[in-house]
Amino acid sequence: MQGILILLPAVLIIGAVFAWLFLAAVKDGQFDDLDDPPTRMLQDDE
Amino acid sequence: MAAAIIRGAGLERYYVERSEFAPRPVADARLDWSAVSVTTTPDGQCEAKLVVDGLRCASCVWVTERVLERTPGVARATVSYATGRTALRWNPAQTDLPALARRIAALGYHPRPLGEERAPDRGLMRRMGVAAIATLAIMGLYEGLYAGWWYGAIDPRYAALFRWTSLVLATPVTFWCAEPFFTGAWNALRHRVLHMDLPIALGVAILYVHGLVETLRGVDSYLDSLAMLVALLLVGRVLESRSRRRATEAASALVGTVPHIARRLRDGHIERVPVSELRPGDQIDVGAGEELAADGRVVEGSGQVRMALITGEAAPVLVGPGEAVVAGTLLADGAITVLVEATGQETVVHRMAAELLAAQDRGMAPTSADRIAPWFTAATLVVAVATFLGWWLTRGTDIAVARTVAVLVVACPCALALSQPLAAAAGLGAAARRGLLLRSADALLRLAQIDEAGLDKTGTVTAGALTVTHADDATLRIAAGLERYSTHPIANAITAEASRRGIPLPQASEVRETAGHGIAGVVDGVRWELVSGEAGAVRVRAPHGESAAGAGLIRLGDVIRPDARTAVAALRGLGIHATLLTGDHESVANAIAREAGIDAVAARVDPATKAAWIRDRQAEGRVVLFAGDGLNDGPALASADVGIAMASGAASSVLVADGILATQSIAPIVAGIRAARAAQRMVHRSQLQSIAYNVVSVGAAAAGLVNPLVAAVLMPVSSAVVIWNAARVERLVRKDD
Repeated sequence: MQGILILLPAVLIIGAVFAWLFLAAVKDGQFDDLDDPPTRMLQDDE
Repeated sequence: MAAAIIRGAGLERYYVERSEFAPRPVADARLDWSAVSVTTTPDGQCEAKLVVDGLRCASCVWVTERVLERTPGVARATVSYATGRTALRWNPAQTDLPALARRIAALGYHPRPLGEERAPDRGLMRRMGVAAIATLAIMGLYEGLYAGWWYGAIDPRYAALFRWTSLVLATPVTFWCAEPFFTGAWNALRHRVLHMDLPIALGVAILYVHGLVETLRGVDSYLDSLAMLVALLLVGRVLESRSRRRATEAASALVGTVPHIARRLRDGHIERVPVSELRPGDQIDVGAGEELAADGRVVEGSGQVRMALITGEAAPVLVGPGEAVVAGTLLADGAITVLVEATGQETVVHRMAAELLAAQDRGMAPTSADRIAPWFTAATLVVAVATFLGWWLTRGTDIAVARTVAVLVVACPCALALSQPLAAAAGLGAAARRGLLLRSADALLRLAQIDEAGLDKTGTVTAGALTVTHADDATLRIAAGLERYSTHPIANAITAEASRRGIPLPQASEVRETAGHGIAGVVDGVRWELVSGEAGAVRVRAPHGESAAGAGLIRLGDVIRPDARTAVAALRGLGIHATLLTGDHESVANAIAREAGIDAVAARVDPATKAAWIRDRQAEGRVVLFAGDGLNDGPALASADVGIAMASGAASSVLVADGILATQSIAPIVAGIRAARAAQRMVHRSQLQSIAYNVVSVGAAAAGLVNPLVAAVLMPVSSAVVIWNAARVERLVRKDD
């Protein structure tokens, strides 16, 4: 059972890393527009 | 107990803290409302429009409207859910625009003048991500704790570790992720309007305080239910706010077709000027392939104008001196000089864009969950108070507190709050898999109510492109030879039909195309000429009377989509009355309607009339669907209860529509309505079941029959039933496919 004492903090740290990555991606604007980028390659250059 | 709820919610302290760093009051002070144009109506009232950001849900719109309408001096307030545009009418003697803007800001939303840039709202997304990750962890930990009920309790030290870790994770979920629900509930409460946020906020607050107390006491609580509830609700909100975003872009796309530069004739020579410098009375030159920069009248020359922008009909129209043309339409061929009559805001396209926006600014009805919410909250509180009093009088304080806490915990509106978002998401998915992409849950639930459908002819019921309907092979061969280098829609139809029939294209020489008249050239050594014949036909003839083999008539027309007839019949089977709407002549419209099996026709309707037709039906109490594809269908799409555009249609129609048909057919509309009705049924069933669950469990808790294990099982089960109902939507629709 002692394993949990190591595993639990480890899992929480990994979770925190992913939460941080997610927040960084949101801050970066990754989720601002999920509709247009897939079609951008089809649009004419201005 | 009421005191415990308020203390539990921790609202006062929370809001005192929050207002210290809230950027809103500062931001509003910076906004310059004096620049907003305020119009005065004949009866002395003021009118103005602004945009409200931060509207997170249908309830927000509803609350904002109610609160504004209750403000002294406000005669009318409508807030558009799609765009956040807000139309206000008030009595200047009693209030003014900055005061109203402050009132909106006090609700927690962000008013700004029209035209100012909006910062993307990333708050919901952040909250959702953090809540989801925390929920995963908490549910994993509580899984272990619950397992102890069956397999023997785990080591108390580990149990304590699990509970405390969960509590630490649940704290940001409650205080930060669930903040929109607290804000919504608090603002609504302060203005004496109740909606779904209140029972949600109350439930979250009670579950958190309960979790805190039980963790301190070393007992399991329901922090897993709390985190799951917050995460799932936030997912629903994110999906909804996402789907609304594009609607705001519609109007600018429409006006975007007007060019920025015009060639103006002045003193016999041509100068290039920005469109904003054009004045009525100027003359501009327009060449083939150019869009018109202003509304006006042709003074010289002739050409074919593609009027699809205004009429929605694909075939170009011949214009000559004296005839009217409008900005944004395309001169397909020829060259004309236009006497400018209207520019900028006065042009037909601009007025269409304005009408399109006005049509979007419609009021908001509360959802069924919002209507239930006040009763739900009131009933819960009444039962809680009754429970406390009952047990306090008979068994003393300790038992009374325990039973009342049990009542408040099991009365958590998890299942009720989830019934609509989950079933609606399932319905949206079911419709999307069948080719109808709907923008919002709100649109889906309106789609379920539809009993009248207006179908645009060109491009919706029909394929929207000219097709040869009748021609001799010999005639077609000559015509295809003449037209092989032309890009005119008629030419495309003729060459396409020739290749379909396997007719090799002959070589033509000395081909000469005359705008608005036809095309002439030599094929097989004979001079031929292709001219417009009677309506819907072109004639191939030899002008010099040589051998007439090959002379004849080619009939062209727009043909109905292959599945239009079955789709219309299926609509009728669903109890929906269909009408064909078109800017075309009665004769053409009736022929298409007969072929498609539609019994009602409104022919020769322009964009404004289409929207008026929809409003007339709505005035009769019908719920109207409109399907169209043209730029000109924008006002009608926005006026309809549900507007559906073809994905291949004009950009602005796609942007303004509630739903988009991904395939080249109208059958998905039928499947979409089936999905919407199935979702609607499941929403109702979920709401009934979750209310039944709450009545039974609250009753049991009040009677003292609920122990923690029963509650731990019951709460997820009630949510699971709602999820199960949502999963049934797809199967219900599949049964009808």
